[in-house]
Amino acid sequence: MAGGEAYLLFLVPIAVVFVVLFLIPLVQTFYYSLTDFTGYSNELNFVGLKNYQQIVTDPTMLSGLTFTLIFTVATTILITVLAIPLAVVLNRRFFGRNVVRSVFFFPAIPSLAIIGLVWAYILSPLGSGALNSLLHTLFSAGPFPWLSDATLAKVSVIAVGLWHSTGWHAVLYLAYLQAIPADYYEAATIDGASPRQQFFHITVPLLTPAIIVSQFLLLTGGLRVYDLPFTLTKGGPGYATYTITQSIITSGVAQGRYGLASALSVLFTLAVALLVVLQLAVSRRLERRMA
Amino acid sequence: MNTKERTSPLTSVIMIPVACLVGLPLYYILVNTLKTQQEMTKSPFALPGGLYLDNYRNVFENIPLVQAFMNTLYVTVASILLMLFIGSTAAFGMILRASRFNRWFGAVLLVGFIIPGQSTLIPLYRLLVNVHLIDTLTGLVVLYSAGSIFVYFLILGYMRTVPYEIIEAARIDGASAFQIYWRVVLPLIRPILVTVAVFQTMWVWNDFITPNVFLTSPEKSTLVLQVYKAVGEFTTDWPAFMTLSVLALLPMVIFFIFTQRHIVSGLLAGGVKG
Repeated sequence: MAGGEAYLLFLVPIAVVFVVLFLIPLVQTFYYSLTDFTGYSNELNFVGLKNYQQIVTDPTMLSGLTFTLIFTVATTILITVLAIPLAVVLNRRFFGRNVVRSVFFFPAIPSLAIIGLVWAYILSPLGSGALNSLLHTLFSAGPFPWLSDATLAKVSVIAVGLWHSTGWHAVLYLAYLQAIPADYYEAATIDGASPRQQFFHITVPLLTPAIIVSQFLLLTGGLRVYDLPFTLTKGGPGYATYTITQSIITSGVAQGRYGLASALSVLFTLAVALLVVLQLAVSRRLERRMA
Repeated sequence: MNTKERTSPLTSVIMIPVACLVGLPLYYILVNTLKTQQEMTKSPFALPGGLYLDNYRNVFENIPLVQAFMNTLYVTVASILLMLFIGSTAAFGMILRASRFNRWFGAVLLVGFIIPGQSTLIPLYRLLVNVHLIDTLTGLVVLYSAGSIFVYFLILGYMRTVPYEIIEAARIDGASAFQIYWRVVLPLIRPILVTVAVFQTMWVWNDFITPNVFLTSPEKSTLVLQVYKAVGEFTTDWPAFMTLSVLALLPMVIFFIFTQRHIVSGLLAGGVKG
């Protein structure tokens, strides 16, 4: 192979994957988004940007868009605010530490779809739902419409999202925390820095790489959210917890509105791509500042 | 910070109850699989009165769990092997030459890393219909091979740490490119292969969206899809549903216990999917 081009052979499989599973479908999505293609007949007319206009006026698509954004922003902020202090605490020495760590981390292991189904039982709005009957026994309160009231359903989905992912992100932070040399804190203590000052002036700045990774996962994961609201509330009540992905699947696969679903996919791709580019730019700038 | 610090009882006093609260739903599910429906309604949080296993018997009789398990196992193992093969050959091809083509190609692959699966869902659905792979387990494996791009990026990062002299030495000894890949490089990058396999297993095994969209025949269901479909059947029989969930979660729990170490090292390796 010396001097040969044999190495190109090694790139063939991934090139096939890229072309068949990414490039062609992406071009097709863009093309369909400009047509009235239904998938059922081969009839296809060019309609320009009409599908895009329809997204902005379609109430279901707008609810999907709104809830996806609410979910993304809420989980990103709340998980970050909860996971960093949690990681700091889990990094201390205390009796039962390993078990506590595992308990927090565990919810991220099983399938989110099953988690959603199980929580649907726990949060059942009926008086016999697990949480409602617990609240009734303890405080004689309720029953609360956890999943049948629009606002409460949104809050419930986000809460289960927090339960699922906070421990995972805390373990990510923990991995980076353990790499911070103990001398930094010793020196700071000698210099008279309070624990609060140490947290904001040593811990947080040195966690910057972890924060970047965690935020990236939360933002892109949040925009892609589907399993959890779908299994927990089916997107309801009404369209209160509808998501972009559920819109794409329902209108594209079930209703045969390919054009519309494709237009939504294009906007979705652009949003995710923009986020990734922004993320890269911000993290480069931060890394340069830290260096 | 942690080595010289003494244990803090106060932290235990606060954190153990908090952890109990976080773990409460899991406890709730587990204890109720061992109760009759009446017992569950009367005292949902108490420990079961005796060893009552009828729920497990009932679920195994009514739901084709073994079939679903085998389906999931096939899809997961085939997908992971395919992804590792495609990802590692690509990474090897990229480090062999630092040509302009390779730099350009690497940048193009980054696009595949960014594109979310949802964006290509509809054309892929039509593609599988056209090649008669819709509603087949092999069709799922094909779709999951899209994960090779992610695998490639993780392996590439690790492969760059392998000293190039080793490859050079093997080449001088007359090894072919494939021999170098198979006998020299693959054994050297084993740690990253394990880490990547663990993460991708968690993805494929737990995935709901792909089977839910691309599979329709009940006998082809994966475990997660099977649980989802069974919910209708058990709407009133809560203990039976809890039992089904526990059985479906069990393989992942066992997997987690054995691979915990690799998950944490994977998180450090640059934050993998959440």
